[in-house]
This record gives sequence, structure tokens and C-alpha cells, in this order.
Amino acid sequence: MKNPLIKRLPRELKSEAGKYAIIFIFMIIVIGFVSGFLVASGSLMKIYNESFEKYNIEDGNFELYAEADEPVIETIEKDGEIKLYNNFYIERETKEVDSTLRIYKNREEIDKICVHEGEMPASENEIAIDRMYAVNNSLSVGDTLTVGGKELKITALVALSDYSALYASPSDMMFDAIKFGVAIMTDEGFDSMGENSFHYNYSWKYNNPPADDIEAKKMSEDLLEVISENAIVTGYIPMYANQAIQFVGDDTGGDRIVFTTFLYIVVAILAFIMAITTNNTIAKEATVIGTLRASGYTRGELIRHYIAMPMLVVIVSALIGNIIGYTLFEGVAVNIYYTNYSIPVYVTTPSIDAFIKTTVVPVAIMLIINYAILAHKLRLSPLKFIRRDLKTKQRKKALKLNTKIGIMHRFRTRIILQNIPNYITIVIGIFLANIILVLGMGFPQLLDKNSQLISENIICKYQYILKAPVETENENAEKYCAGSLSTIEGRLKSESVTIYGLASDSRYIDVATENGVFISDAYSQKFRVSTGDTITLKEEYGTTEYNFRVEGIYDNPTSIAVYMDRDFFNETFDNEADYFNGYLTDEKLDDIDDMYVATIITEDDMNKMGRQLTHSMGAIFDMFYLFGLIMFMLIIYLLSKIVIEKNAQSISMTKILGYNNAEIGGLYVVSTSIVVVLSFLLTMPLVNVLMKYVCEVMFSEFSGWIAYDVPETVFVKVIASGIIAYAVIAFAQFHKLRKIPMDMALKNVE
Amino acid sequence: MFLEINGIRKSFGEGESRIEVLKGIELSIEKGEICVLLGPSGSGKSTLLNIIGGIDNADSGYISINGEKTADMNEKALSLYRRKHLGYIFQMYNLIPNLNIKENIEVGAYLSDNPLDVDDILRTLGLYEHRHKLPNQLSGGQQQRTAIGRAIVKNPDILLCDEPTGALDYKTSKEILKLIEDINKKYGNTVVMVTHNDAIKNMADRVIKLRDGMIRKNYLNEEKIAAMDLDW
Repeated sequence: MKNPLIKRLPRELKSEAGKYAIIFIFMIIVIGFVSGFLVASGSLMKIYNESFEKYNIEDGNFELYAEADEPVIETIEKDGEIKLYNNFYIERETKEVDSTLRIYKNREEIDKICVHEGEMPASENEIAIDRMYAVNNSLSVGDTLTVGGKELKITALVALSDYSALYASPSDMMFDAIKFGVAIMTDEGFDSMGENSFHYNYSWKYNNPPADDIEAKKMSEDLLEVISENAIVTGYIPMYANQAIQFVGDDTGGDRIVFTTFLYIVVAILAFIMAITTNNTIAKEATVIGTLRASGYTRGELIRHYIAMPMLVVIVSALIGNIIGYTLFEGVAVNIYYTNYSIPVYVTTPSIDAFIKTTVVPVAIMLIINYAILAHKLRLSPLKFIRRDLKTKQRKKALKLNTKIGIMHRFRTRIILQNIPNYITIVIGIFLANIILVLGMGFPQLLDKNSQLISENIICKYQYILKAPVETENENAEKYCAGSLSTIEGRLKSESVTIYGLASDSRYIDVATENGVFISDAYSQKFRVSTGDTITLKEEYGTTEYNFRVEGIYDNPTSIAVYMDRDFFNETFDNEADYFNGYLTDEKLDDIDDMYVATIITEDDMNKMGRQLTHSMGAIFDMFYLFGLIMFMLIIYLLSKIVIEKNAQSISMTKILGYNNAEIGGLYVVSTSIVVVLSFLLTMPLVNVLMKYVCEVMFSEFSGWIAYDVPETVFVKVIASGIIAYAVIAFAQFHKLRKIPMDMALKNVE
Repeated sequence: MFLEINGIRKSFGEGESRIEVLKGIELSIEKGEICVLLGPSGSGKSTLLNIIGGIDNADSGYISINGEKTADMNEKALSLYRRKHLGYIFQMYNLIPNLNIKENIEVGAYLSDNPLDVDDILRTLGLYEHRHKLPNQLSGGQQQRTAIGRAIVKNPDILLCDEPTGALDYKTSKEILKLIEDINKKYGNTVVMVTHNDAIKNMADRVIKLRDGMIRKNYLNEEKIAAMDLDW
């Protein structure tokens, strides 16, 4: 015989339709969103990884002062054991939008092009531009763009496989897909842009590719020697160090961590809500449970019965969520990615990992939490259920309250004391919802603040990095050394550290140390290093290690950097005593030839990072905030509903005694309101601590550092929006309270 | 002897507030008997019924049904014991509100390998016409009939009734008692009934009076009368 209790499930669903609908819809949206995102990011990573072979991405590129003739190319290819490809480009300003376009000829063999939309240029006056640059500047196929004073028709939106992130220079801190773009023209069109301004760029592929980064570094050093012996090198970047190629792979992993963290917080909250709901159902049906147990139903049978509904909701919503994830939300996520990365045409790859994270894990969490609570609750004897005595511990004595306090206040205090388990769940629920609210509202502020900090901590207006130590007449310029080492992989993965060697009386960075180092705030916070500690760094693509004693912390909360005296720098890295490779200056250095300048870091370069982060992540955090607010309302609605339902008999009795609805509302709704407001005030510092911890863990996965510094106004705004949202719920609960009939108290008395 | 109660002791509380509610109860009940447990509040009658029903534990002593001792049983075995041997009827009906009358009885039938026919039970209880209604659409008497149906559909050896008429009016109470009597006759179940109502003893085969946790009287009722002839 089929268990007749199964027939209850559809009726339970119908009678609590509102409650289950809210949980169901919310769960579908969350799972759908994260599933869509994980599938999109997984598919994108696959496309990205496959693009190296599919589009024959270079092993590196270099720029020569002049075009290399055939014998030079043959020598370099032979001695360097590589195959070279011409990849010349020109850079031109655009008129309609304030940007710079880097234009290449069409590539047939290396760094091939993926066409997203339209046709590749066929005539001199046509151009294909990077899809992401086009989107960011509202350009479409068919538009006319004035490039370097020449009107060109956009015939295609494309992705250049060696520019999946639009870094103008390999040394840029962040790409800028708004003010920088890449484009393709026909050979004739390219030549017509002016031969005298060509960048003689060559891409190479090794005949025998390196096995790992260390071998790649060695091969690249050897190759640079070969090229330098045969030509004047003005630019050199092996593929492993090229951010324009590497960034997408490095960055996508971090995104997945953020979204998976978000999913697990949300699932934990939903599991928590489900568990509270199930707990409440058990309390309501205590006598029935007792009778069934007394009749011979086993604990296991009842656990299976009561767990069926939450599991049904989570399984169905996870399945629907995945379907929506693959159909609707995947598109949203792809759109977000394609706003940031310039990658080939998207193709969905079903992801087992996404399925496990968005279906198996939520189902498992629901099962574990609900099973634990049900097993704990149903371990009580049948007799306790029949007597509605569901407390595991009995209160020995009633808490004494000062009789000088008015009866209504004492009544309200008693309500809070009697409902402590429910109110504890409200506190926990608000705590969890606040995490998402602060995440949603605080993160954009964090990014803004970070941009501001970057601006505030700019060392000087121009930071020159030279290819060779050339002198300047400008007295404002101060010589310095710049290099990079990497941290040793341990608690955190290995990361690049900028090393500054500074004049002992530097006007720009004041670090008074001779044989020790100062580290940046960011370094100190991220790697938990303090003054007096010794740090060990190693060559980025070598094995030599360096130990430095930390003598102080320099106020730079955004860069992972080490500062030392220039003499100590040169001594440490075996340079000549007067070696330098850059200038710190507040004035542009006009007397240094561009060919000696590797890069110039300006204030605008520094601001690019904040600009791009805000551009790419702003929409996501708006969604987080909305999610948080809805989730907060859901939690408060369900929990305050439970409080009213559990006290329905007492409310009914107070009505019989003659209390009016306003007075009863003053007792029961105000009690919950007090708890809600107190919960906000008490949990916010905890949320702040937890958020700090979560952010530090999260940011530790990224390169660089974003200091956790959420302004207090964010917390005030979160509390204010929470209280306004609660006011809506309180009104609904007051309405519900008014509808409780007086005869309920009489009917249910046993 | 079918139901044996041997040396049952039970106390509640600790230290100075410890109260011994059952002080070594010895009792035997024959198969098919209607046994009424009488006594004032606090005499221990409900506690004794709960121990027989395996939903409360004795501090010492044991219950034996057909030689099967409950004291040796773990929780799972106790559930099976209740499933196999017992039907429970409470003062409050404890029906499942979102199952209809027939389904509530099926909840009991599910527990038995060889249940009675649910439609027959519904007719016996006079509930056949109401079988598709939900409990809150029925009167208290009809709800208690449903609870009785749920208890007897698995044809238990023993029907344990804890104040089954406590929430009912005079007329309905007599109808329920008659029903219990009819079931006892028709299916031969042993009935153990706890009640405050002294008049109910007149329909019993065996009357046991408890006071202060001890049996004060235990006798076979020679002048048994039909439930419908009871008066109080």
C-alpha cells in the first residue's frame, strides 16, 4: 500500500502556496543566475583555452626600431629556433569617440581573427574593429569612424586572439576597453594610413614550444639576446608575460570564486529558512506526529515524510533553475563577460562542475540541514509530541521582571523571552541577509574607494621605466630602479611584487632604510607581514631567492610593492653602483627619446584600473543588493509569520480578554520590530568583521590588493533600507494578526 | 495471560520534587477483555496506559504481550511493537487536517500487513457518507469515530483509549462507547480504557481502580451492561 501521507504533499503545497512560491521563485532565480554564470564562465574558459591552438596565438612578440630585412629575419629564426611573422601596426586617434585604435593588417597565419559580426574589410576605406571596443563606444557595423583623419566604414566586429583583454601596453596595470581598441584593415588600407609611423612588430612561434614558464623564461632570454645581436629592439614581450593574452585566464577563476561564495551564502540562507519552516510545521503538527508515532509510524518514516517537501522544492527549483540558467541567465552572464573580454564567438559547453555546484550542493545542503533538524526534533518521545512538549530543556523558573515596569512592557518582554528560539533565528537570518546587502551596497563603494586610493597614492605624475639608463636634464626627475620579484607560494599563490630602488633622500617616496626594506600597506595586509619580519621573494622566472628584513610599512594600500634604497637595490641584484632604469617626476621628460622608454605610468593609467573594475562589476553588485533586499524581506516575512502563527492562540486569547488590535499589534508586532531593529544594530559589526574576512580571502585570490574599507554610510543605508523593508512586512503581519479569530483560543484548548 | 504488567514503577522529577506515580503495578488482562482504568487525577492511570502503549518508559518492571517484553526493546523495536499490536485513541482526535476522513483511516491501514477493509470500517463507523470530507467539516463525535477507525483499521491486538469521550457530550459519548463495544465484539480486540467517568466501568469486563500509583481494586465485572444503557 502506498503511504497515504504522500497525499498531504500537494495539499501542503496548496495551503502554503505563498510561502513555497516565494522560496521556489527565489531559489530558481539564484540557482539560475549562478548556474548561468558558471556555465558561461566555464564555456568561456574552454573557448579561451582552445583559442591558443585554434587561432595559433603567438609565443611572443617584439618590436624593432626599423623593419628587419630578410637575412636578419632568417638569422633570428635560425639562431632563435623560431618562426617569425610580420605583425606591424599603427596607432591612430579616433574622432567620433575619444580613443586610440591600434590597427593591424589582416592575419592569415598567426594571432588569427574571429569575426563576430559582418564581413572582413575588402577595400581600402573599410575597417574591422574589436567587438568589445565597439560595444563600449556604441559603434556598430555600417557606422563610419574617422581614424587618423580618414573616414572608414566599419564592416565587422571582431576579436583578435592576442587581445582577449585590451591592454594597450603589457606593463599597464589594467586594460582599458573604452579608450583603447584594436582593428584590422586590408593591406592597402593599412599602407594608406602612412608608412612612416609603422610599429615594426614581429610575432614568433617556437619550433619546439617550452614545457613550462621557467623554460619559457629561459628561452625568451636567449631569444632576446639573439634578436638584440641582429637588430635594435624597442619592445619585447613573451606570451607568458603578455597581459593582453593572459589576463582572461587569470581573471575568470577569481570571478568563479566570487559567484560560488555568493551561491553558498544564498543556499545556506534558503536551507536555513526551509529548516525553520519545517520546524514550525512540526510544532504545529505535534499532536498528529505524537499520534502517528504512538500508532507505530517509525521516526524514519516521519523524517522522510517531513523532508519530502523541502527536498521536492529544492530539487525542482534546482532543475528549473538550471534550465533557466542555460537558457536565460547564461545570456546575461555571457553579456557581462563579453563586456569585459574580447574573446571569440561564444559556444555553450555543458558543465558538470556548474551542475554539481548549483544542483548537487544545494540539494545536499538542504538534505543535511533539514535531516539534522528533523532527526533532532523527532527524537523526542511520542508522548512529548502528544503533550506538545517540544522543548529539550525545561525552564526551571520564570524570569523575574521588575514589577515597577508597566504591564504592557512586561508582557512584551515575556513575548520576546517566550519566543527566543524564533527570535534567534530572526537574528541569524538578518545577519545572513545583511552580508548580501552589505556585499551589494558596499562593494561598489569599495571599488570607488579603491580608485580614490589609487589616485591619492600616486607617487608622482609620471613614472618612467626605461629600456636603458639614459640621462635627463630635467631637475624634477629623480632616478630610481624598478624590478619585479614574486612571492613564494604558501598560504597564497605566488604573486608579482614591484621592487623600487629609491634615492636615499627621495622626494617622492620617503623610506629611510639602508639595508632593509619598506613594504606597501597592501603587501602588509595581504601577506600579513609586519615591521621586523623577514620576507622571502624569488625571481619571477628563476630560482634565486632573496630575503629582506622589513623595517617599515609605506602608506600604499593598493599596490603590492617593496621599497628599498637604490644602492641596496643595485647591490642586491648585482647591478653597477650607479645603475637606474627609471625616473620619478612630476613633469614630462621631453629630452628622452621614445625608443628608450619602456613605459610611462601616468595618473590616468592608474585610474584605468578603477574605471574598468567599476565598469565591469557595477551591474553585478547592483544585482547582489537587490537579491539581498528581497532575501531579507523573505526571511523577515517567513520568520515573523511564524512568530504570529505560533502565538495565534495567545493572540486569540488576548482578543477574548478585550485587547483591541492596536494593543495586540503593540505587543506582538512591536516585539518582533524591537528584535529586528536590535538585530540590525547588533549584527552589523559582525557583518563588518565577516565581510572583511570574506573580502580578504576573496581578494587574496586576485593579483594586487583592494583594501577593505567600507564607509560607515553603507551600513547606515543598509540599516535604513532594511527597516523600511521591514515596515512593509510589519504592516502585512499586523493585517494577519487582525484576522486571527477569537474562537481559536477556545477550540484548541485540550 | 495475554497482557501482563509486572512490577511497573515510574517516577517524575528529581531530588525533593521527585514524585512516584506508579508504585509497582501488577496486572494481567485476558485477550478480548474490555478493561477500564479508573482513578482520580494524578493516580497514574494515563502514565500506566502510556507505558503499556510503549510511548513512555517504566523505571522498572515490564509489560508483556503474548510473551513479548517491551522493556528489552530499542526505539525501532518499540515502533514495530506499537505498529503490530496497538491502536491508540486519544481524548483529542489528532487527525491530520489536510487528509480527508478516508485517507486518515488509510494512514492507520498503511501500518498493517493485513488491514481491515477501509470502506467496511467507514460503514461500521457511520462515516461512509462523509469519507471525502476534511476533519474540520465534521462534528467532534464524527472526528472521534474517525480516530477510532484509524486505530482499529490495522486490527490491533490491543486498543488503548485515553479518555476517548472526554471532549464529547453525553449522547455522543455513549455512541462512541457503543462503537468501542461493537468493535470489541466484532474483532475481539482487547480494550484498555482510561477514564474519569465512573459510570463507564459498568460496560467493562475488568475494572481497575488506581489511587496514588497503586491498584486499589481489580475485579471482573459480573454485572456488565451495554454501553447504550450507561447513564451518568
